[in-house]
Amino acid sequence: MSNNAIPTVLVGCGAVSRFFYAPSLTALEAKGLLRVEALVDPSAENLRALAEVFPKAQKAASLADLPLASRLVIIASPPKFHAEQSSDALKRGAAVLCEKPMANTVAEAGTMIDAARESGSLLAVGLYKRFFPACEAIKGLLEKQPLGRLKHFEIEEGGKFGWQAASDSFFRKSVTPGGVLLDIGVHVLDLLLWWLDEPAGVDYEDDAINGQEANCKIVLTYPEGVRGEVRLSRDWGTRNEYTFRFERGVVRYKVNDANHLEILADGMPALLAGSLQEVSRAGERIFPRGMQRTNPQSFIEQIRNVAAAMQGCQRVRVPGEEGIRSLRLIERCYANRRLMPMPWLTACEADAARRLSETKGAPAK
Amino acid sequence: MKIAIVGASGFVGTRMVERWMLDSPFEVVPVVRSYSSLAVLARFDLPWRVCDVFAPDALAKAFEGCDAVVHSAIGDAGQIVQMAEAIYRAAEAARVKRLVVLSSASVHGQAPPESTDETSPLHERHTMAYNNAKVRAEKILRRLSAAGSVEVVMLRPSVVYGPRSRWIADTAKQLLEGSACLIHGGEAICNGIYVDNLIQAVELALKVPRAAGEVFLVGDAETVTWRTFYQHIADALGVSMDSVRSIPPPLFVRPLKERVGDYTALPVTQKILPLIPGKVKRLSKLLLTNWQEPALENAWRLPSETPCATTEELTLLQQCTWQLPSRKAQAMLGYNPEVSFDEAMRRSLGWLAFAGFPVAR
Repeated sequence: MSNNAIPTVLVGCGAVSRFFYAPSLTALEAKGLLRVEALVDPSAENLRALAEVFPKAQKAASLADLPLASRLVIIASPPKFHAEQSSDALKRGAAVLCEKPMANTVAEAGTMIDAARESGSLLAVGLYKRFFPACEAIKGLLEKQPLGRLKHFEIEEGGKFGWQAASDSFFRKSVTPGGVLLDIGVHVLDLLLWWLDEPAGVDYEDDAINGQEANCKIVLTYPEGVRGEVRLSRDWGTRNEYTFRFERGVVRYKVNDANHLEILADGMPALLAGSLQEVSRAGERIFPRGMQRTNPQSFIEQIRNVAAAMQGCQRVRVPGEEGIRSLRLIERCYANRRLMPMPWLTACEADAARRLSETKGAPAK
Repeated sequence: MKIAIVGASGFVGTRMVERWMLDSPFEVVPVVRSYSSLAVLARFDLPWRVCDVFAPDALAKAFEGCDAVVHSAIGDAGQIVQMAEAIYRAAEAARVKRLVVLSSASVHGQAPPESTDETSPLHERHTMAYNNAKVRAEKILRRLSAAGSVEVVMLRPSVVYGPRSRWIADTAKQLLEGSACLIHGGEAICNGIYVDNLIQAVELALKVPRAAGEVFLVGDAETVTWRTFYQHIADALGVSMDSVRSIPPPLFVRPLKERVGDYTALPVTQKILPLIPGKVKRLSKLLLTNWQEPALENAWRLPSETPCATTEELTLLQQCTWQLPSRKAQAMLGYNPEVSFDEAMRRSLGWLAFAGFPVAR
C-alpha cells in the first residue's frame, strides 16, 4: 500500500456501505489511493459484516474517540445523523463525503456548510449521478445546443421499493420527513439543477395521506418557456427514463444506464441507441478508445474526485453548496404541496384523504 | 373491529388498507414480511408489524389484540402451502376469532368446465403449480379449522383487477408496445372482479356469522369477454383493437426449474427432502440454476412482428367459457357487487392516468 494513501473512515456500515462504498473503497485501496482506517457503526452486526472486507480497519461505535484530522470521512449513516456527524468531522479537520440526501432539512445542511467554511475543510455530497457520462453528455447537449434549444422534458423514475431497509425508520415520518421525493428525488432534482439551474415555477403534488409520499408529480417551468414534468414512484415500475425534447430532436436517458443514450434527431428514420465511448482526436479524425464510465465506476469516480481534491489536484465536483440546492427545491415542493387526485377513490374516501392530508399530511420541516 | 391483514403490501392488500383507513370502522394492522414492503403503506400513519410470515410464533405476536385476520399474501407454490398452516396456527395462538382467506377460483383451473361451482370436487392435477398449491392450502385450512378454534371463511376470486393490478398495467403496456394478443379473438369469458368488490366480499365474510367454515366464489355481476376487457383499455389509450392479434392457444413447455419446483412443493417431497444430503441438494440446485432451456423462438420471422405477450395462465384464462357463479355468496353473505364493470374500468383507467400512462380520455 502506498504511503500517500489517504486514511479513510467509513461511518455507517449499513446497506449503502456494503453494496456501494465497500467495493468502491476496495478498488481504490488496490490502487493505493486510500486505505480504510476505521469503520464506525453503533451496530456490532453491521461492523462485523464490513470488517470482513476491511480486516485491518479499527472498529468503533462512534466517531468520538477516533483521530480525524487529514482523514477522508465518508458519512453513510441514516440521514438524520448526517448533519451532526459531518459537522463534527469537519470541525476536527477531516474532509467529508456525505451520502445523499445531504441532510433531512435545509437548516441541517446549512450547519454542515457553515462547519466546512469555518474549519476550512472540504465538504462533498454523494450525488454520484453527476459523474455518469450520460448525464455529462446531456449537460453538453443543453449548453452547446447541437439539437437546438430545449423545449420540454419528461422524467419518470422509480419502481417497487426494493432497497433492503434494516428497520422501519426510513418509513416513519417522525424519523424521515419525506418519502420518494426525499429519496430518489434528491438525485433527480440535483441533476435538473445542474443541467438547467433554478426553475421559475414549481407545482407539486403527492399521495401522502398522513405519512410519507409513495408517488409524486412535479411540474417545473423555466425562463424561455421550457416546461418539464417529473413523476417519481416507489409504488410501481415506471418507465425509468428521462426524455428531452429539443428543437431538432429527442434525447432519452434510461435511469442508471450511466454510459448509454438514445437519440432521435430530425431526419433520422429510427432511434439511435448506443453506448458512450471515449475518443481521441487526430486532426479531423476521431478514434474510439473504449466505453466511458459505468455506473459503479461513476460511484468510484466521485470518491476519487474528493481524494484528488484533498491532494489539491481537482476541485470537488459536488460541494456542500451544490448538495443543498436539491434540498431547497424539495422543501419548496413540500411547501407548495397538494394531494394528488386519486380517481379510483370513492367520494367518501377522497374527502377523508383530503381531510387527513390537510391536517397531518405535509412532511415536517 | 381490529383486523390484521397479512400481505398488506400486495395489490389487494394495499387497496384494502387504503379503503379501510379512509372509510370503515375497522382498525387496521398491516402485517408484512420485510421493511421494504412498507414503502407504499407508509402513506398512512399505521401500526404495522413486520415479521416472518412462515413462523407461527412471530405471526401470533403480530396478531395480538386482533379480532380477525385477512390472509391476502402471495408467494410461490411452496410458500402458499406453508403460509396457510402458519397463519392458521398463529391466529389460533393469538385467539383470533375469524380468518378470512383469499384463496382463488384457480382451484377449479383457469378454464373450469361448465356448471362449476363451490360444490365441484377439487384435484391437484392442474398443469399450473399455483392452482395445486391453492387446493392444498384450502385442504390444510379446512383440516385445521375442523379441529381448531378459529373460524375460517375462504373466498375464491378469479381475475382481480383495479388500480395497480397487472391485468390493467400489463395489458396497457402490451397494447402500447403492440404485443397484446387474444386467444381466438378474446371471445372467452373473463371472470373478473374489481378489487373493491372483492374487499366488499371480505367485509361480509368478516361479519356474517353463518359464513364460518364456508367457501365462496366471488366475481363482478356482469358477463364480460376478454375482448371487452381489452377494448376498454385500448380505447382509453387510443390504441386500435385491430392491432391486437387473434391467435390460437400456443403450446407451453414449462421450464425445468418450474417443473422441479412443483415436485418439491409436494407434501411427500417436503418430508423426504431433509433426508437428502446437503451436497446432493446443492449440486442439484447448481445444475438447475445453470440449466439452459432450449430456445423456442423462431429467429426467422419478419422484423416488424412483435412477439405476443402471453403466458400459460393467460392462455388458459382466455379459453374459459363458464362464468363462475357468485350465487352462494349472494345468498349467504348478501354479496351484491357494489361497483359495476363500467365504473370499475373507469376507476382502473383513472389509476393508469395517475401512473403516467398516456390515457386519452
